[in-house]
Amino acid sequence: MEQQQKQQKDQEKNKDQDKDKQQQQQDQKDKDQQNKDQQDKQKDQQNKDQQDKQDKDQQDKDQQDKTPQDPSQADKDKQANEQPQPKDRIDPQDAKRMLDAPSNRKKRAGRGAAQTAAEARYTERKGLVMETMKRILNLAVAFVIASAPVLAQEVSFRATVDRNEISVGDGVRFTLELSNAPSGRLTTPDWGGMVVAQGPSTSNSFSNMNGSISRSSTTVWVLTATSPGDYTIGPSTASIGGGSLRTDPIKIHVSKGEAGSGSNPQMDQAQKKDPNLFCTISLSKSKAYVGEQVIATYTLFSRYNTLQADDYDLPKLSGFWAEEVDLGDANWEPGQRTINGLAYRVAILKKQVLIPLRSGQLRIDPMTLNYRVNPGFFSSGTAVKIQSNASSLNVVDLPANKPADFMGAVGDLRLEMDAPAVEVNANEAIDLTIRFSGRANLKLIDAPKLNLPGDFESYDPKIDDKITVNGAGMSGSRTFQYLLIPRHEGNYDIGALTFSYFDPTSGTYKQLKSPPMHFDVKPGAPNSNATVGAVVKTDVKPLANDIRYIRTGDLQLRRTGSFLFGSWPYVLGIGLPPLLLLLLFAWYRKREKRLGDATGMRRRGADKVAKQRLALAKTALDAGDRSAFNDALGKALEGYAADKFNLGVAEVNPDVLRDKLADMDGGKTAEEYIALIATAEMARFSPADNKPRQQTYEEAAALIARIEQHVRA
Amino acid sequence: MRTIHAILIAACFGLCGSTTHAAESDLAKQAEAAYASGDHEKALALFDSLNNTHTSSGLLYNIGNCYSKLGDVPHAILFYERSLRLAPGAEDVQANLDLERAKVVDRVNELPGFALASIWDRLQGGSDVDQWARRSLWACALMAVFAGVSIFVRQRMAKRGLIALAAIALLVTVISMALAAYRVEQVRNTGEAIIMQPKVDVLSEPRDGASAAFVLHQGTKVQVLKRQGDWQEVKIPSGAVGWLPGTACETI
Repeated sequence: MEQQQKQQKDQEKNKDQDKDKQQQQQDQKDKDQQNKDQQDKQKDQQNKDQQDKQDKDQQDKDQQDKTPQDPSQADKDKQANEQPQPKDRIDPQDAKRMLDAPSNRKKRAGRGAAQTAAEARYTERKGLVMETMKRILNLAVAFVIASAPVLAQEVSFRATVDRNEISVGDGVRFTLELSNAPSGRLTTPDWGGMVVAQGPSTSNSFSNMNGSISRSSTTVWVLTATSPGDYTIGPSTASIGGGSLRTDPIKIHVSKGEAGSGSNPQMDQAQKKDPNLFCTISLSKSKAYVGEQVIATYTLFSRYNTLQADDYDLPKLSGFWAEEVDLGDANWEPGQRTINGLAYRVAILKKQVLIPLRSGQLRIDPMTLNYRVNPGFFSSGTAVKIQSNASSLNVVDLPANKPADFMGAVGDLRLEMDAPAVEVNANEAIDLTIRFSGRANLKLIDAPKLNLPGDFESYDPKIDDKITVNGAGMSGSRTFQYLLIPRHEGNYDIGALTFSYFDPTSGTYKQLKSPPMHFDVKPGAPNSNATVGAVVKTDVKPLANDIRYIRTGDLQLRRTGSFLFGSWPYVLGIGLPPLLLLLLFAWYRKREKRLGDATGMRRRGADKVAKQRLALAKTALDAGDRSAFNDALGKALEGYAADKFNLGVAEVNPDVLRDKLADMDGGKTAEEYIALIATAEMARFSPADNKPRQQTYEEAAALIARIEQHVRA
Repeated sequence: MRTIHAILIAACFGLCGSTTHAAESDLAKQAEAAYASGDHEKALALFDSLNNTHTSSGLLYNIGNCYSKLGDVPHAILFYERSLRLAPGAEDVQANLDLERAKVVDRVNELPGFALASIWDRLQGGSDVDQWARRSLWACALMAVFAGVSIFVRQRMAKRGLIALAAIALLVTVISMALAAYRVEQVRNTGEAIIMQPKVDVLSEPRDGASAAFVLHQGTKVQVLKRQGDWQEVKIPSGAVGWLPGTACETI
């Protein structure tokens, strides 16, 4: 950054030099004109000669202005200009030279500076002319007085002050004027505690008005006081001829100086180092917030008549954003400033707006300046190196509760949001302007984020700065121009734009809010660039990544820690049905038993009994016991029928069997059963078998099984 | 039969005793209104007072939302996790939890969910913790009814059919009970915790001044392996294990 600043400086310097040249040419013309006028008036050859000589001087001087760093040229000038000068008188030439030197180097002098210089030259020129004239007149008048009696004017001796109420550090001009007396001896008055800051300087004047000649001699002191109070300047005596004249004492009231005037510790310290030439860096405040503007002023104080800057070393700034203040034509301040009783010429060398970028104790290193003091024709002057005080700024962090929309702006701001039209056609651009104005670190404000509807296309904003940097800091406006293009018709709202800044005077964050804007977008013109023909399909874009809304309505609240599973009702609910089922079953069985349903029991047992008897028959068959076999088989068949159909053994006869088994195979089973019983009966009483025993047994077993199946189904 | 029914109905109404009372629903309405008007702190206070005695997936979710709006990421995650525990697979909870997890500093690789996760979640019964318990009750009752009727039926086929239905109902009962038991265990499970402090050193030993094993930040989910006094042994999915003071995290 520093390098950039330097480059910029160089450029400006060149520019300024060019300007200076132009200005000087103009000045020269003006001056020539002036000189001619005076010459006309004077009509004095001697005078004219001197004038010419001075013109030459002037040219030399001008030349020197163009090359201000050339000390030999300056010396020549000095030599040529052999004006006797009172020690403490401020030589305007020197002032100009000195003023030009830093200004050219530091590009301080603009057009205005040159003008001032021109004026200074002019007055100086006039002063020289007058001086010369006066001297000539003096001679002439002295001659006249000596040679001829004149109408004597009244002799007077007066003491005057330009004011009698001053504040500490200010100067008061004390004048002793002796009129119409041949030169007499004046006594220096008793200053009564006041300090002579400057003087005495004496001047004489003659005037001849309609033959009445007056003469006066004036001695001037500049007095100052270091502490408030009432002071009395004692009388002064003038001895003229045999007698003497006395002035009246003068009372001066010195009040306590107002803040800012007079001296401060920095100045005192700097002055102690070198009371003739020193430089200070002063900050507009000693404590600032991060981002707050602080003005740094670099001031030069000088008691030397001539001063020529050699080079300088600007302080390094770390942790600051610096903006140069354009000082315009302000250079040597008019008049003098009295510091601790000494009168100084004061120049503001440089002014900067500093914006601290981080917190902590930020230091500004001393500035070093090299000057040559009182350069003469043969000497290059005495080199003096001065160093300003180092300064430091206590930078505090901004309060912690930073709003979300705070982006570092510190100061005092206003916000405007504006669009030329709120009714537009689709696909037509909207110029949305957002302007921040006020006194703040405007250059550090970034583009705010707009709360745009999703169907708006937006482009990076154009930044338009109207920022001025002056002695009071950075102010003006920064404008962001957004180009928005609504792509579809509809009603759109641009949400209110909020922007927070920090107000250092109140020490709080303040929020600016622009009203929300509403745009009514009409369907685009038929020939507009998009949406011709088919509708362009676009994806639904998620705009915000926010959480979903809470559940509303019935939240299905339950007592904490209560679960149905494992609770008493649950155990009851899960245990009871099986228990009841068991009870039911037990009850059913018990009832069946109690009813003693023999029929049922017999019927259910019929199959079992028949099978047992068949098993007996089988045993007899295997043993070859014919009668036992026939007996068992017969009992099995008859018994099964009796059990199954709940009959007595005697009741089993062909008719009953036919009736009971009528639904089975259309009575065929019944006939087979009857036939088998008959076979078994006959075999019991006949010696021979008309059927093999094995076959009879198998038929019986098959038949019983078939009947059992039928009955169950 | 009638007695069974009466008992079942009585049992159901016994459960219904835990449904929302007027006072609670009024409180919930106030909280909702506060949330809608943007006063999230008030909404949180009201929901919280409700949470002292009651709970539900919806309530925990709403509390999580309040914390999220107030910028308290770890608490928001904690309550979303608790809500998910009551209602696995709840879409809105999962969405908000994902948003909050994005704000967590630690990148912890969650185990990838298996493909049938959503079916499993649905099977677990959504927001209703008692769903499977209730189902097991109904299945058990049905089983008893089928079996009871079958006793009196003489027709062979009808009897067999009823007995088969009773057997199916019994199976359903057993499965439902298992699922119900699983859910309760899962809800009661305190094996996971959320880190509550902005930054916490996980120590290698359960004592102050022990060397730090690794560092975790707020919102990270850890598995609690063991508790010892005021200390908890935790494990992160990468497998690293260390000890945390009890105040550093809160169990889900």
